Amino acid sequence: MRENFLTRFLLVAPTQAMIWAVLVVPSVYLAWLSFHSSSFGADARFVGWENYARILSDGYFWRALGNTAIVVLVVVHLELLLGLGMALLFAQGLPFRRLLIACVLAPYAVSEVAAVVMWRFLFDPDVGHVSYLLNLLGLPGLEWAVTPAHGLVLVSLLSIWMHLPFTFMILYAARLALPGEVYEAAKIDGASVWQTFRNVTLPLLMPAMLMAMLFRLIFAFRLFSEVWLLTGGGPARSTEVVAVYLYLEAFRYNAFGGAAATGWIMVVASLLMAAPYLWRLAKEQRGDA
Amino acid sequence: MRRSLPRQLLLGTLKLLAVLAILLWSLGPIALIVSSSFKPEGEIFAVPPRLTFQPTFQHYVSLWQHWPDFFKALGNSVIITALATVIAVFASLLAGYAYSRFRARWLAGSAFLLIVVRLIPPIVTTLPLFPVANALGLQDTHVLLAVLYATFFVSLGSFVMRAFIDQIPKEMDEAAAVDGAGRLTTLWRIIMPLAAQGMMAVAVFVAVYAWNEFLFAFVFTSTRAKTAPLVLAEVVGSFDGVEWGTLFAAATVQLLPVLLFVWITQKYLVAGLTAGATKG
Repeated sequence: MRENFLTRFLLVAPTQAMIWAVLVVPSVYLAWLSFHSSSFGADARFVGWENYARILSDGYFWRALGNTAIVVLVVVHLELLLGLGMALLFAQGLPFRRLLIACVLAPYAVSEVAAVVMWRFLFDPDVGHVSYLLNLLGLPGLEWAVTPAHGLVLVSLLSIWMHLPFTFMILYAARLALPGEVYEAAKIDGASVWQTFRNVTLPLLMPAMLMAMLFRLIFAFRLFSEVWLLTGGGPARSTEVVAVYLYLEAFRYNAFGGAAATGWIMVVASLLMAAPYLWRLAKEQRGDA
Repeated sequence: MRRSLPRQLLLGTLKLLAVLAILLWSLGPIALIVSSSFKPEGEIFAVPPRLTFQPTFQHYVSLWQHWPDFFKALGNSVIITALATVIAVFASLLAGYAYSRFRARWLAGSAFLLIVVRLIPPIVTTLPLFPVANALGLQDTHVLLAVLYATFFVSLGSFVMRAFIDQIPKEMDEAAAVDGAGRLTTLWRIIMPLAAQGMMAVAVFVAVYAWNEFLFAFVFTSTRAKTAPLVLAEVVGSFDGVEWGTLFAAATVQLLPVLLFVWITQKYLVAGLTAGATKG
């Protein structure tokens, strides 16, 4: 029995060692840091909730939080809608399906930096093809470098483009896993296309949709590179998101305490978003053991 | 319910349009920069984009001349990606095997922890790790980035491996044990070959992430271990609005290998996404 415990322990040890060294211990240290005043070279001093108070009274923090919330909500919902539509279209059976899926997956392989190059070019006010097209239609182009709202629109478009393959694949796999019989039954009962969608497909896909949405919520909340590379948070800090705010606090303004407080707010927010899912999982795990 | 012919035609046309829109959306931006990287300077901005042109390598030559750093960074990316992939795949294999074959309260607890830490945003860890990396002399090294990248995927990786190993009958292990094989031998000789698909799936996830990642490379490297996305971002940053061609060439070089890799390994990617994302 002892040998057995050692075997198990050694099997999970590498994974756990990495997790603890890179994630668990640093997070705990971060929490400690958030209650101290500290920057490079200076001794840490306990300051209680001061860092949090300072962050929460900082207008730039709230602007960053607001920007993040808007972008995340828009991105996640549009992705879910588009992903669902595509999943249903593909599930109907299309010719060259494997090839089409390969095409849809392509953006998954693209780095944030390369994606920024593409979308910057497409929407370049002077030479961009999409700007030209919008002009042709009598629509104004995106002044993404000048107008904050336009910058956020471009960031959202870019995020949707990069992450749609993930949402699509989850929903598509879930749709394929639905048993054919329920559709047979709906047909026999004379249900219309809309009725079938509303009363059969949608409820059955709901768990997968919630799962995809949860994952995307948590990951979209980390949004950093797209904003950093596109607008750098500017002009005048107007397009910052929380991760960019944290980065600037820490590495530009050397306010490690404030950055740590922001970091903990991010961790807690992520945990809260995932709380119902974690709760269910914990119960399953307990049943498992 | 039989549909009338005109209605079927209408539906077919709509479907075709939808598929074309999806293709344009997914491939359009990629095709545009890849093709533009081979276009002579003047034709890059032609509207509508030209489909036929005399391909030129001038932008690649200029990339080579003005950004030698970029090609050094590509080398770094290769090293870091390979290292991260090996670490993550083997760590996940071991943990996945433990989670598949054994039951214990503390094991379940450690599996739960794997899921919880996945909720921690990467940027949050840069803050406490930065001074530590400096103190240990790990700042700007390949190993540090490789370990960071591997860590962010051992969680998903362990669950993917568990899902794949669950499909291998336990009797195989027992038969091997009867033949006198130890755990490690069983893992190496029996489990690994049968779980190769899962290992490929994990490898694809980690490799794509490590090849493309920006944030950690940005914070933790400066010269020696700088990766390709970082130098590509420098090209973007130094850019004065004239050198689109060079920029496209750099983006193409960074992008094409991983795109081809994803297409070749598509089967594993899809299998991994469905096994890992839905379970845990």
